Amino acid sequence: MPEANAAVFRRAVLALSGGPTDEMIVRLACELARPTHAELIAVHVVELDWTKPLDADVAERSEEAQRVLDAAEGIADLVHGKIEAVLVQARDLGAAIVDEAAARDADLLILGLPYKTRFGGDFAVGRAVPYAFKNAPCAVWVVREPMGEESR
Amino acid sequence: MTAPNSPLRGRKLGDRRVVVDRPHSAYFRYAGPGVMIAKAAASAPTTAQGRRLARVRAFVFGKPLSSAQEIEERLSKKLALPIFSSDAISSSAYATDEILRVLVLAGLAWMTWSIWVAAAIALMLTIVAFSYRQVCRGYPSGGGAYVVARENLGPNFGLIAAAALMVDYVMTVAVSSASALANLATAFTVIQPYKVELGALVIILVTAANLRGIRESGNIFAIPTYLFVGMALLAIGVGLMNTATGAAHHLDAPLLAETPGVQAFTMLLLLKAFAGGSVALTGVEAIANGVPAFKPPEAKNAANTLIIMAVLLGVIFIGLTFVGLQYGVEATKPGGPTVLGQVGHAVFGGGFLFILLQISAALILFLACNTSFNAFPRLAAILAKDDCMPRQFAFRGDRLAFSWGIVILAAVSIAMLWAFDASVDALIPLYSVGVFICFTLSQAGMVVHWRKERSSGWAWRSLVNGFGAILTGVVFLVVAYEKFDAGAKLVLVFIPFLIAMMMFIRHQYAASARQLEMKPGAAVPQPHRHNRVVIPISGVNRAVVQALNVARSITTDIRAVYVSDDPARSDAVREQWTQTVPDVPLVLVESPYRALIAPVVAYLDVLGRSWPDEREKPITFVLIPEYVARHWWERMLYNQAAKQLRAALLGRPHTVVINVPYRRDEARAQAAAQASQPAGTLVAADNGRPPEP
Repeated sequence: MPEANAAVFRRAVLALSGGPTDEMIVRLACELARPTHAELIAVHVVELDWTKPLDADVAERSEEAQRVLDAAEGIADLVHGKIEAVLVQARDLGAAIVDEAAARDADLLILGLPYKTRFGGDFAVGRAVPYAFKNAPCAVWVVREPMGEESR
Repeated sequence: MTAPNSPLRGRKLGDRRVVVDRPHSAYFRYAGPGVMIAKAAASAPTTAQGRRLARVRAFVFGKPLSSAQEIEERLSKKLALPIFSSDAISSSAYATDEILRVLVLAGLAWMTWSIWVAAAIALMLTIVAFSYRQVCRGYPSGGGAYVVARENLGPNFGLIAAAALMVDYVMTVAVSSASALANLATAFTVIQPYKVELGALVIILVTAANLRGIRESGNIFAIPTYLFVGMALLAIGVGLMNTATGAAHHLDAPLLAETPGVQAFTMLLLLKAFAGGSVALTGVEAIANGVPAFKPPEAKNAANTLIIMAVLLGVIFIGLTFVGLQYGVEATKPGGPTVLGQVGHAVFGGGFLFILLQISAALILFLACNTSFNAFPRLAAILAKDDCMPRQFAFRGDRLAFSWGIVILAAVSIAMLWAFDASVDALIPLYSVGVFICFTLSQAGMVVHWRKERSSGWAWRSLVNGFGAILTGVVFLVVAYEKFDAGAKLVLVFIPFLIAMMMFIRHQYAASARQLEMKPGAAVPQPHRHNRVVIPISGVNRAVVQALNVARSITTDIRAVYVSDDPARSDAVREQWTQTVPDVPLVLVESPYRALIAPVVAYLDVLGRSWPDEREKPITFVLIPEYVARHWWERMLYNQAAKQLRAALLGRPHTVVINVPYRRDEARAQAAAQASQPAGTLVAADNGRPPEP
């Protein structure tokens, strides 16, 4: 029986966006994965609109997309963790992440959520997080970016 | 680009995704726009032989460390103290002997002066340590006396300090290993004939430990240093307690090093005793050289470690001298008990603690050379960055150690051991001359530093450093004078030689930098020079055709040269050439003297001379077809003439030599292509032999 406060998972998918939450997610996941040697899969999705075929040579040539995953690998190295980096092209971010987590039989999906507000001050959650909450077969954690000074 | 993966179906109808390959990720990591960082795999050997060698290296020296791990390799104060202080602290084991050995000449009654001489040396130690503490803070990039002298007295004074230090570091390794072996040889006489070999073995082991990285070597060498410090302090403590309780009693008269009372007690004799005991200061400067090896805040940690080292050294040195005086300890002839040994025997009574003290002293003497292994490579690296040493000295090896400096120090030290037959008596006069030159220069440099800086307290600080400079300068003169005939003259010859060598290297680098210099911001125009290609051939074969195809991508002015001593063979080659490559002229050179290389070079000379003088000389590309040997033994069979030709063309003006390798797998691919093409095309018939131009 695991301890009540220990987060136990075998395999976690980390959804990385290239934003400020990536480092938080990778550090957190590496810390939690260390005791059980759980597997970590970092996924970055490049969304393609319908003007391009899904297998168009976009993400592979995109240094920016590669850099998101390379930076995650670098952070994992720093904290002596190990992640598998996966680059995906898809039409819809949320669906691709959930599908990847399901395909890899992950028991945890961690997403980052930037602190953004719409006009009028409402907090904007975006589409991917609600989609994951609604459709992911595994547990879903969301790591929200801290509020900026102006929002407090 | 790799072929795109086929789309994967999602859990919902219409959801599709494609997993994109990341071919770079095994070897590189993007760090910023247009910036890639190579991973360990990119540096890994690709051949089986290379992998085997890498495994052996990893076993002996440890797995390679990345530059990012440098911060983890930094030293804490408690690890840095034994690494950088073993030389200085170990000198307290014999410094008192050096004082007593001189004072005894004036008679036994004058031996009480040893404590005053030791106190004066401790004062000098305080001044030097204070000065180097300021050096650590003022020059946190390391370099110690060299950097201080360079910055404040001028580059040439810096080179004097550097040369003096380098000589002293080499001598530290040679002397400490020789003296440790001499100690061992008194206990185990069987090793006496093998002192050079064993000394070399010890140096090689210390070298291997240092090549494993500074942190790991620190872990290996920390225990003996702390053991010696602990045991020496314990001996002093017990000795002081016995003195206070009146339990200290004079020992039996040992076999004295010199006949007492043969000289008058003069100022010169006192200075000689002072100079002799000043060997205690050797190694004090090492911390200031290695400030970047400390954990942040580097300068503060280095300065504090320096003070701890100076306090320990001073306490042990004065303590041993004082306790020795209470027990009537004397300096003995070589092979006799040392002052430390006599004190240990007197206070511990020859039991386990005495043996432990002696073992720890032998170990720290062995490891005193480790300080040099840390300080010398760092100094050499700083000199290399200043273009005063070959630039290889600034490169860090697999384990972030300055491998070149470590290996060179080991090699020169072993050579010194061999040259002087590992004799301590012969090596000692060469020792400690250099260190006082660098003490003097660093103190003088600090005087200029304070006067330039004019920070608070500059006047008294410069006064202290000025006094220190005079004091260490006098000690240098006394040491050089006293030890001149015994061997110090060698050092005084070798230091200028090193300075000249460093000035020569600096001049060479400066000259090449001037030649390579570009005007800042100047746009480089397209070249207008004519290009031509010459292909020396050994016949008509696939490798030659491959070279020909490369030549066509460079220019249309192509010619092949065939040198032969067999006219019949030449005709056959010409016929085959005109059939296969009719558009490229072939020059046949008959060589009745059977030379192959010289006629090609002579032909290039003729080509050069035939070019009109008024036009800019063309660039001649010499394309050498080369068959790539797969095994080491194959390399002996092929391309020997190609190697000779490359060597002959090395440095030839207006000439670019290009090897065009031809691999066996390409042979198969071309054979397949040939089978599908009509005869007479560019994929030439193979004459069955690998090319041999």
